[in-house]
Amino acid sequence: MNNSMDAKLNDLVERDREHECPGLGPERVCVRIVAVAKLPSRFGDFRVVAFWNNRDQKDHLAIVHGDVVGAEDVPTRVHSECLTGDVLGSLRCDCRDQLETALMRIGELERGVVLYLRQEGRGIGLANKIRAYALQDRGLDTVEANLALGFRDDERDYAVASHMLLSLGIGSVRLMTNNPDKVNQLTKYGVKVSSRLPHLLPPNPHNRFYLETKARRSGHVMDFSGTAHLQEQSDPVLVEGMLD
Amino acid sequence: MPQDTVVVGAGIAGLACARGLQRDGRSVVVLERARGLGGRCATRRFEGQPVDVGPMFFHGHEPAFLAALEEVPGVTVLEGWPARVVGNGPPCQPGALDDFTRRFTFAEGMNAFAKHLATGLEVHNQTTVARIQPVDAGFEVTAQDGTVFRGRDLVLALALEETRALLDTLPPIPELASVHALLGMFFSVPCLTVIAGYPAGSQDLPWDLLYPDASEALQLIAQDSAKRRDPRFLTLVCQARPRWSRTRLEQPMVEWSPELIEEAGLVVGPWALKPLWTYPHRWRHARVDRSCELAGPVQVALAQGQTLGLAGDVFAAGGGLQAAWLSGTRLAQAMKEKA
Repeated sequence: MNNSMDAKLNDLVERDREHECPGLGPERVCVRIVAVAKLPSRFGDFRVVAFWNNRDQKDHLAIVHGDVVGAEDVPTRVHSECLTGDVLGSLRCDCRDQLETALMRIGELERGVVLYLRQEGRGIGLANKIRAYALQDRGLDTVEANLALGFRDDERDYAVASHMLLSLGIGSVRLMTNNPDKVNQLTKYGVKVSSRLPHLLPPNPHNRFYLETKARRSGHVMDFSGTAHLQEQSDPVLVEGMLD
Repeated sequence: MPQDTVVVGAGIAGLACARGLQRDGRSVVVLERARGLGGRCATRRFEGQPVDVGPMFFHGHEPAFLAALEEVPGVTVLEGWPARVVGNGPPCQPGALDDFTRRFTFAEGMNAFAKHLATGLEVHNQTTVARIQPVDAGFEVTAQDGTVFRGRDLVLALALEETRALLDTLPPIPELASVHALLGMFFSVPCLTVIAGYPAGSQDLPWDLLYPDASEALQLIAQDSAKRRDPRFLTLVCQARPRWSRTRLEQPMVEWSPELIEEAGLVVGPWALKPLWTYPHRWRHARVDRSCELAGPVQVALAQGQTLGLAGDVFAAGGGLQAAWLSGTRLAQAMKEKA
């Protein structure tokens, strides 16, 4: 079965060599599957799929578990790159918890996919994200300053994510998100969303403060050290046991 | 008479912003310290021959910016200039020389862009702004000679450090604290520049731009006369590296100017040591550092409803003329949407 799954994914690489389309969204985003490989990880047995895109030099990834090509109701999580959280384990955001939980959950299911979008935190780069943190450290993170430093372009993320799902030939997805708008956005670009799965993080010492602060759907949440927790993903954080 | 908007700085950002606002039906007045227009997008004339003192060519990929340049009337566009580039650079703006970027210049001088943008605008030249302050539901802008200009909104479109200096003349305003802190994270680099003139045709140089990779002093030598029709002089524009410029910034021009010519002689040959004439220029804030770019212009609403807008080459990605023009144009758009 693994062999036929790999064959199907490799066929997509072959197919996409000639792929050209009008593109999705105002920026006419188009992606192509360019390489597939095995990716055994601590979260399970995965395949990693590399995508080229026509807008920037960032190669996006799909981390695939099980046979997803042509499948329906595929559990799907869209994650936006956050170097400080994903890699460095920063506690200014919840990105690492969100990514690990998604990979762990999907690794335990029959099939699923995590899209890893390589668009670091704030539109124009890591340095400006760190500058935004620096302003926050000084209590000076106003809307005006943050706008000038650049904000995540959700619109573009949705177009990229949608095209990636369509390229993978996924029939329909069960979207792991706490943000109903994400469902609408993907639907707009032709992705069939059969249902929404809440993305619940298991409680740990670093996110327990969410249980106490209750569900804050917008604005800043202070952690135990008094640092505002930033929402880098376009999802409100939900921790198991958190009250609405 | 009070204006809708006072724009400080007739560089590319200020002119683009003023033009956008005026097209939207607002009354705008532009205040400019220098005699000319265009700020760092500067062209000087030597016995009638134009020589660019700041940026040597236009480069970009934003359709709106390129379209704005297409509109400049009566110029000869030298498409693809500089075609002959020697040395690795890097260029002042990352990407300026890459395959996906369009490059060109004007035979009449880079400054033609500024003159075109300023058409129909009320620009007060030789008007140096000393201080700004909020009054009632507007701003009062006081020039060094005491003249006072009033506007509901105020746009500062200056080099980053000059903008900070003017913001410092304001009384403490809570709304501006974060903007102040933000701008404090960014900086410009200086560029000492010497233009040297030689007899036309005295040398046949195989390059338009030369990046002297081994020189600690020189970042760039441009053969400016290669852009001109029947030039009277062969002209070299020698621009110094930021660090070299920084250490000599406060020295008299007569000290660093010959040093740069000597360095040019080492780079291109002894003939360059004997120019017919030289003209030094000190760019104190030549451009923002390559590590510095914001995503967009800043617009702050103050307590009484007046808006302070900031534009300039730091206020858009990529730096340089494209960023300056985009920031001014986008600020005008944002102010329009807010109104």
